[in-house]
Amino acid sequence: MTNRIALIAMIAVVFTAAPAAAQDTPRAGGILKAAMIGEPPSLDIHWTTAVITQQITWHIYEGLYTYDTQFDPIPMLAEGHTIADGGRRYTIALRRGVKFHNGKEMTSADAVASLQRWGKMATPGKALWKNVEAVEAKDPYTVVISLKEPSGSLLYGLGRPNNGAAIYPKSVIDVAGENQVKEFIGTGPYRFVEHRPDRHIRLARFKEYVARTDAPDGYGGRRTAYVDEILFLPVSDVAVRLAGVETGEYHFATQIKQDQYDRLKTMPALEPRVVKPSGWATAVPNHKQGVMTSKKIRQAFLAALDMESIMVAAVGNRDFLRLDPGLFYPEQGMWHSTVGKNAFSQNDKEKARRLLREAGYTGQPIRWITTKEYDWMYKSALVAKQQLEAVGFVVDLQVVDWATLVQRRNKPEVFDIFSTGFGFTADPALATSLQCNWPGWWCSEEKDRLMADLAREVDPKKRRALIDRLQAIFYEDVGRIKFGDYFLLDVVRKELRGFRSTPELFFWNAWLAK
Amino acid sequence: MRVYLLRRLLAVIPVMLVVATVAFVLVHLAPGDPASVIAGPYATADDVGKLRRQLGLDEPLPMQLVRWYGRLLTGDLGDSIFLRRPVLEAVLDRLEPTLLLTALAILIAVIIGVPAGVVSARYHNSGTDQSLMALALLGVSVPNFLLGLLMILVFGVWLRWLPVAGYVPLADGLWLNLRSLLMPAFSLGVVQSALIARITRSSMLDVLREQYILAGRARGLHEAVVVYKHALKNAIIPTLTVVGITFAILIGGAVVIETVFNIPGLGRLIISAVLRRDYPVIQGVVLLIALAYTMVNLAVDLAYLALDPRIRYQ
Repeated sequence: MTNRIALIAMIAVVFTAAPAAAQDTPRAGGILKAAMIGEPPSLDIHWTTAVITQQITWHIYEGLYTYDTQFDPIPMLAEGHTIADGGRRYTIALRRGVKFHNGKEMTSADAVASLQRWGKMATPGKALWKNVEAVEAKDPYTVVISLKEPSGSLLYGLGRPNNGAAIYPKSVIDVAGENQVKEFIGTGPYRFVEHRPDRHIRLARFKEYVARTDAPDGYGGRRTAYVDEILFLPVSDVAVRLAGVETGEYHFATQIKQDQYDRLKTMPALEPRVVKPSGWATAVPNHKQGVMTSKKIRQAFLAALDMESIMVAAVGNRDFLRLDPGLFYPEQGMWHSTVGKNAFSQNDKEKARRLLREAGYTGQPIRWITTKEYDWMYKSALVAKQQLEAVGFVVDLQVVDWATLVQRRNKPEVFDIFSTGFGFTADPALATSLQCNWPGWWCSEEKDRLMADLAREVDPKKRRALIDRLQAIFYEDVGRIKFGDYFLLDVVRKELRGFRSTPELFFWNAWLAK
Repeated sequence: MRVYLLRRLLAVIPVMLVVATVAFVLVHLAPGDPASVIAGPYATADDVGKLRRQLGLDEPLPMQLVRWYGRLLTGDLGDSIFLRRPVLEAVLDRLEPTLLLTALAILIAVIIGVPAGVVSARYHNSGTDQSLMALALLGVSVPNFLLGLLMILVFGVWLRWLPVAGYVPLADGLWLNLRSLLMPAFSLGVVQSALIARITRSSMLDVLREQYILAGRARGLHEAVVVYKHALKNAIIPTLTVVGITFAILIGGAVVIETVFNIPGLGRLIISAVLRRDYPVIQGVVLLIALAYTMVNLAVDLAYLALDPRIRYQ
């Protein structure tokens, strides 16, 4: 009798527990619909640094390396590597039996052709390739990269998602050369099916995907394509993205207005996600030409600003901003530094006026180009303008569309400051915020020497010391004006499970519960 | 008549030439360039410059203009920079949603607008007239995107009767297609119906004062026959003009509504082309819209003939 009761009780437990367990057990199938902010300018990841291209094509293409939870490089298509010749030679073993979506096996010939193209075309590739002497296939499963001098950045660069070193089939590269590839073939868990502009980009599970066997870790480890298809839908209107995820037409909507956060938290079918970190809001002064070439004026500019009011106006919700002086984010562990924190948000009007007097500033207008296409850029510029004018700056705020902004910022004669954001970069040495050849042309002998050292340095402790020094120079020389960190708001429906919100968007290992 | 038609058709050529030139010049005078957009936010100036050369954007403008003329002569609108396909193909792909949306919107506008105008005129200065015209004033004043967003909120999010956005092609079924177009067509149609109602009302009022109407009534014709048969037919010409213009405007001008409802039509095509400076697409679409405009105008002029035998073209 007691046995029977126990059995019934057991059955009852199993049955009541079953639904909960079933929901948390990954399930294959379904079409995941993701509402994105627009259309990618290209589907050739070697071609563009546009984030949306990376977010979509990352499911199609893979690189030799990727990042773990700590944003450190780990092998992806690579099996592993050995370093010889005092850090100058990397011998990378490729995983065997990895198939491209065209059915052919990936070998070193594909990897070498892809890396060479990437080194010639991609912005981070070109930066790294200055130090690369040769890339060769030693045998079908071994690639050897010879460097001119040791590099602490090589693996970070190869693992970088943005404008990343994706491995394409050599045959695709042979056809395209340096023009955009015409076929979108990779080794990823999803394969490209079709792109209907302004309708969708359709990806489908790659049935012959050869996953890694190690557990998922950050962006790496085992990648599983649970959903049959992913539809990336360009939905440029933020209100429509939100309405669509509310009604269940989309499972995921990106970049929702942060002021909706509190309302979304009360909605049972939805789960708001804070994407942390996303980037820093910034203004970039023109170091090459015009009034901002004066260091004192830049220092006055920085001294006048109160970052808190700027960031609150720009982002709107305090859960989505962080007042932090770091060039790199607290989430990056070792790379985060607080050097220069006293210079970060000074709000010292007296000091600003004094510096302006010393600089002999006589009211030359500061031409600041910004855009309303990114609301936070415009709002931060607007608040900063008021604060600057209170100390005697004359600010000529030029509001243009994004396409105009990205063109004009390449012309040193037409601007003094422009608004932008710097996204997440795992490797400090590759951070756009510190590059000398990027618009703004912040070049200084010591900073660029330190950057070169940083790229060479392998020892994390020594790298950290270099970052501290770089950050001190950043505030002393006012390379850029950092307003603060901002986080984006994504919304997912509860039936989308196993989806992690990280600085980089990805849907492998995520499934649909119904 | 045939001579007239031929003359009108020939007149299209210089119009197109002017439009082609103006479109090219304006588009290239605007700041911004597609290479910077393709290269993305973290690209250096060198990367952008290299891309410009690869895309052939570094050629002098007059050279590019001559090339554009040359291609036009062969009926080639060029290739889109971003869509990796010919402009004409991209446009044809967008024609279905735009044409269906426009047709449905006009249908809604006419169904609401014409009866409202006629009733207003018939009961001139009555309470009905005044309330209808007040509504029409409201309709003209409400921006269509606001109406669209409100409808999304009510019918999409709260009531869940209709999809909030997106387009279902006709090939997937008439009902699904209609469902996806209903809200956008309504937002466009309501605004236009207000205009149509006002025009219909004023031209009806003019006609109702004519002597033949008086004569009709004197002969004891039923009021409905007088209004709907004799007056309406003569009063419809200005309405037809407005419908024609509306049609032409909507073909290229449903930009905002197509964006709000995420409909992949011509409006979306042109707005994304403008934002990314996809020069060939902007030029091509502007040219085609101009062509549609002139053709619709011609069609409206010809429709006058059918409706009003007093009109003759030499």
